[in-house]
Amino acid sequence: MVQKRDLTRVTDTLWEIPSHHRSDMRVPARLFATADMLDDVLADKTIDQLVNMTTLPGSVGWAAAMPDAHQGYGFCIGGVLATRLSDGVISPGGVGYDINCGVRLLRSEVTQDEIAPFLDSLMTSIDQNCPSGVGRQGTLKVSGQDLDAVLVGGSQWALRKGYARPQDLPHTESHGSIPGADPGALSSRARSRGCPQLGTLGAGNHFVEVDVVEEVTDPAVATAFGIRPGQIMVQIHSGSRGLGHQVATDYVESFQDAVRKHSIRLPDRELVCAPFGSKEGQAYFAAMCAAANYAFCNRQLLTHWVRRSFEDVLAAHIRRFDLHMVYDIAHNIAKVETHIVQGAKTKVCVHRKGATRAFGPGFAELPADYRDFGQPVLVPGSMGTASWLLVGTEQSMELSFGSCCHGAGRTMSRAQAKKTIWGSDLRQQLEAQGIVVRAGSMAGLAEEAPAAYKDVDQVVDVVHRAGLASKVARLRPLGVIKG
Amino acid sequence: MYQELDHTADCAIRVWGADRAELFADAAKGMYWLAGATTGEAGEEIRHLTLTASDQESLLVRWLQELAYWLESESRVVSGISFQELTMTHLDAEMTCGTATSIARFIKAVTYHDLAIVPVGGGLQTAIVFDV
Repeated sequence: MVQKRDLTRVTDTLWEIPSHHRSDMRVPARLFATADMLDDVLADKTIDQLVNMTTLPGSVGWAAAMPDAHQGYGFCIGGVLATRLSDGVISPGGVGYDINCGVRLLRSEVTQDEIAPFLDSLMTSIDQNCPSGVGRQGTLKVSGQDLDAVLVGGSQWALRKGYARPQDLPHTESHGSIPGADPGALSSRARSRGCPQLGTLGAGNHFVEVDVVEEVTDPAVATAFGIRPGQIMVQIHSGSRGLGHQVATDYVESFQDAVRKHSIRLPDRELVCAPFGSKEGQAYFAAMCAAANYAFCNRQLLTHWVRRSFEDVLAAHIRRFDLHMVYDIAHNIAKVETHIVQGAKTKVCVHRKGATRAFGPGFAELPADYRDFGQPVLVPGSMGTASWLLVGTEQSMELSFGSCCHGAGRTMSRAQAKKTIWGSDLRQQLEAQGIVVRAGSMAGLAEEAPAAYKDVDQVVDVVHRAGLASKVARLRPLGVIKG
Repeated sequence: MYQELDHTADCAIRVWGADRAELFADAAKGMYWLAGATTGEAGEEIRHLTLTASDQESLLVRWLQELAYWLESESRVVSGISFQELTMTHLDAEMTCGTATSIARFIKAVTYHDLAIVPVGGGLQTAIVFDV
């Protein structure tokens, strides 16, 4: 196990494990944290998993763990690794099972005072309109032909069917549609899981949350993003549902053979991988892009139904009840990007597992209204605590292949959380804070208790100080729907 | 026999068995326990399953994946298992299945993370991490 003495301090917020720490490391490992966060992150397998990531063939620069990093399987959660496209690998374990799990932020023109009398009704309406929880299926009838179009087009399919507005797409990472998706790369089992679950939130840590902008820390960027204090916002956290889980399962399975075929030695079988350019690597990439597009479409459909709830509940009382997209980002994905590696522009596959893209100003994909400022970075906190809107920086390209944290990060196991916290007590505590809660199960609520997570403000402070992203606004929850 | 292990983000169990058949059967029970999946009825449906894998750990993962899929897609819980053949790389089982009366969560995936079936005290032991 990695010990504190194995870490070399680079700055107040950055630590390195040199590549000579273990003979199979190909690049160093870097951890973004303050000194007082180290004991927590060294208490489980997080850093061992970070070191394992560095063994993947074609790794460049360093493997990075974000300030919210915690133990996962294969890659640590909050892990970022770039591999050269020319001779590096792609790893399904570096993306995870919920492909393109991500977060979307919507803004309204409604204020907290205006919404207060209707908040309870609004949360009930969202809960009814957005299917959530274990085993809940969607209300859409999705044919095999529809599914193919979703897998290729992502949010574009939603736009064609009237579930999106034209301005939603440029305000979505990759415009909600990653090129290279191939529905033929999915198993029939993945497809059968995908059809009934399209347009569903899911369970676990997935949520819809209504927030208020409590504090703006960067007025110029906040104005560009359409954000001001007191404004009501909505966050949607969901992913590719059973379809994505099945894609990952299928390729982790088939890559067990690929590893042998390509003579790749790994410290953990969950890290299975194949050369990016190989038949196996290309098949996984095409399937992963398809699952990612499904996830973009899924969050777009949920957006449509949240908008409907705002209209149903608020239209008769508040004139400007509508919701506009701020941004939508993935935090479990592998993307082909160009980064500077050893002074040269290099095409790499950036694996972000529990990490968010955080590109700075001037990035061509960004919509014109954001391009001079940088990409919005969404960091949801734990239930009942703050969330943050940040903006990507130029520095993040040098520090973390343009990546940032994706949340607060767990510190307590689900089992421990359930032993320590009663869901019904937690619900009462949240309601005493004025937070309206709709939850599928009390046990599930307890697992996601704020005490099971790191302090999001501390995590975001590290992000800001390290230069991974810059603070824009802090959000406070008013209502939450947990699947 | 199985026991839940602490895992920061997901769920994990340690499983012991006097032999491979008991290990596989108890791994299934442990997974159903994590999922909060119960069936109140005696299994009314007989299912037959044949699986082949490259090694015993892969076979265990495939076995649990299959049961997790039946749980999510059909709400089916296996209540009785008879292994007609169970080697390091091949499984042939006949099972009785019932409809789940409750499910607390679905198992997203059965992972290979640090997975190893090892001999211990005359039997076998393993630890399995599940994505939930």
